[in-house]
Amino acid sequence: MSTATTGRFQREELVGKYLTFALGNEEYSVPVLKVREIIKIMDITAVPQVPEYVKGVVNLRGKVIPVVDLRLKFGFPAADYTERTCIIVVEVALSTGARMMGIIVDHVSEVLNVTTEEIEQTPQFGDEIQTDYMKGIAKVRGHVKILLDLDRVLGVDGTIAMPQPSAA
Amino acid sequence: MTTRKSSGKPRAAKPAVKAKAKAKTTGKAKTRVAAKATRKASAPKAKATKLDLELELPPPAAVAAAEPIVEQPAAAPVAAIEDFVVDDDTELAVVQSDAELANLFIAEALDHLGTIEAKLLELDERPEDTSLLNDIFRPFHTVKGNASALGIVSVERVAHKVENLLDLARSGRIQVGETEVDLVLRAVDVLSLMINDVGQRLAGQPRKATGAEAVTLVQQVEYLITGQLEAGPAVAAPVTETPAIETPVIETPEPAAVAAPDPGEEPALEHDRRGATPSRRRDDVPMLAATATAIKVDTRKLDNIVDVVGELIVVQSLIAQDPALSALVDGRLARNMAQLRRLTADLQRNSMALRMVPIRQAFQKVARVVRDQSRKAGKPIDLVITGEDTELDRKMVEEITDPLMHMARNSVDHGIEPPDAREASGKPARATVSLSAYYQGSHVIIEVKDDGAGLNTQRILESARRKGLIAPDANPAPEDIHRLIFEPGFSTAAKVTEVSGRGVGMDVVRRNIESLRGRVDIRTEYGQGTTFLVRLPLTLAVLDGLLVRVGSERCVLPAAAVRESLRPKPEQVHFVQGQPRMIQVRESVLPLVSLGSVLGMSCEALDPSAATVVVVEEGGSRIGLVVEELLHKQEVVVKSLGDSFSAVRGVAGGAILGDGRIGLILDPHGIVTMVRDGSRRAA
Repeated sequence: MSTATTGRFQREELVGKYLTFALGNEEYSVPVLKVREIIKIMDITAVPQVPEYVKGVVNLRGKVIPVVDLRLKFGFPAADYTERTCIIVVEVALSTGARMMGIIVDHVSEVLNVTTEEIEQTPQFGDEIQTDYMKGIAKVRGHVKILLDLDRVLGVDGTIAMPQPSAA
Repeated sequence: MTTRKSSGKPRAAKPAVKAKAKAKTTGKAKTRVAAKATRKASAPKAKATKLDLELELPPPAAVAAAEPIVEQPAAAPVAAIEDFVVDDDTELAVVQSDAELANLFIAEALDHLGTIEAKLLELDERPEDTSLLNDIFRPFHTVKGNASALGIVSVERVAHKVENLLDLARSGRIQVGETEVDLVLRAVDVLSLMINDVGQRLAGQPRKATGAEAVTLVQQVEYLITGQLEAGPAVAAPVTETPAIETPVIETPEPAAVAAPDPGEEPALEHDRRGATPSRRRDDVPMLAATATAIKVDTRKLDNIVDVVGELIVVQSLIAQDPALSALVDGRLARNMAQLRRLTADLQRNSMALRMVPIRQAFQKVARVVRDQSRKAGKPIDLVITGEDTELDRKMVEEITDPLMHMARNSVDHGIEPPDAREASGKPARATVSLSAYYQGSHVIIEVKDDGAGLNTQRILESARRKGLIAPDANPAPEDIHRLIFEPGFSTAAKVTEVSGRGVGMDVVRRNIESLRGRVDIRTEYGQGTTFLVRLPLTLAVLDGLLVRVGSERCVLPAAAVRESLRPKPEQVHFVQGQPRMIQVRESVLPLVSLGSVLGMSCEALDPSAATVVVVEEGGSRIGLVVEELLHKQEVVVKSLGDSFSAVRGVAGGAILGDGRIGLILDPHGIVTMVRDGSRRAA
């Protein structure tokens, strides 16, 4: 754990403020600078021919933005949306440019300041667990927070439609 | 017209003598002799003297030896390639440090070059209008100045040379004809390439080899300048007595390609008129303040305004319909609400208008194509443009340019007969192509019209039968036959194209126009000409839609694609393998599918006779779509779903509905294709 990097990233790169949120009993976090706003869960218009975790599109003050259910994306069992369910609107850098996207999370927790000392290397979990969308982990006050690489979570090229739609 | 002919003729001689530089020179020298002579004949005396003084008029004896004089500059190395190829990117040092400045320069320069091109085409029509030269010179000067200020040496050098030519033309020391216009047009092309290349290089792309083109251009410019300046005054004095009327006839071999009938047709009059116009006449006309009345705005900012205004409308109507508010009976409140509604509607109209631009820029490109193509094909053509101020969505103007260019090129290449054939059939040898745009309701109609041979209905029918596009015994109406030229199978085969008289790729034209939610029609009369009528919505941002319910979602079907909707009686629905698969609408049987299942949306199977069937027509095929409910017709603002959903078929975008939710806008073309593919897979 004494190395200066956590896989692809220098520790120093990961230092900063994070918005943490919960999925089930796990704590995840995204850089605050990537977060545009947090809105309450709202009516989502379903889009056909997309993976289940893509819930559809919402109207964010005149802009159409895709919404992804992070629970389903990460393989959690689906849960009913509650009063605390939120859509975090984030800016994602895709190969085609910056895009706004919404991610549905169980609830938003807090904004954390993560320091160099708190950052740990992403452990190797073996083949079953995908780690390429983790930037690293932070151990803050005894709790482990997973630092998400949103650009990877939401697909490298941002195309989330299934390649072979089931027509007719 | 007369002007055109007299200047067109010498130029047409060029291809014939191209092989030998010397011969070319001779031709050119003579041409200029002729031009100068006629001009001098009536030019103010004072001016002639001035020229003489400046240019050290050679003795009259030199007239006979005009050839060597003109040849000399061609031999001298006037421009070296090194001058125009700055190998390293040092010239980009300034712009590299300021991307915004660079982009501004590029956008502005290309804008100016566009203006210059338009004015050049006008100048081609009216070479005697010297004010046009000023209009060309000024933006050219600006481009040069900007390039120089930013240290982009290669652009500056080329621009500088051409500016010299323009300056000489402006001061009347060089006669402007088609050769000059051609050359400056080429300069515009080369400069556009170079300036675009600057952008590419800044983006890290390797440099394109524009150097050689630039050098050729500059050499030609210098050659032209020297040639004109030396040839012109050299003969000015002795030929003042020569009757102007003779000059065009004796100096040039009759070109076969460009038919200029009646060569002696009143050139003297024309030249008189030109000569009487002092070339500096409009030099003091103040520059139009066009720059002050327009600003450049990033389209994203415009889109943001449109987005927010759209939301404002939604919120406004939500508030207006709020039950709590409508429970209040208050005159003042009602008045204010009405006022608010008017203002928001006004705001929306205005914000939509921000995206509208005149179609001029597209027409300009078409004009250029017609000009080039008519020269290439040796068919003299008058291009008549009307309604270039008609405004439509900027994106539409961009997208329609290529199809229009294609149609115009087709008209010139295949529609218009060679001059001799035209004369044989009693038409004027000069053909007319007209390009016009006008409003019709919420649509814009663009016409591309030629007075050429028209479509040969019988031949199209024959080749369509040969190609198997229609049944051998089918006997469609003439209009339907003409539409066959838009069929993909029809125009791709070269042989068929030959007989049909229309070029390759009309199917692409139709597809492009349909993707803009427009349609194209043909009106043609054999022997009289053909008109293409393109009908486009004013903007792609607003769509006339039909709201339908599919499962829990509301979707928008473009009203243009919907033929009818019906509640089918049980006997109209035909079952295949226990499934409702076909519907009989009057005499035709159409495939019947559930909209939800085509798209792959979760919804329960519907009994068509209990639901609504919407008949959608796209690309000639009709299908029946089963939907749960037909809600209403509505004009919706079209939004893109973004790249993330680019692979979703059958969906064209999203619309923000009255309650602020998004409804998917369906793509009839995609749906019809999916149905077709689906049944093919099943078969």
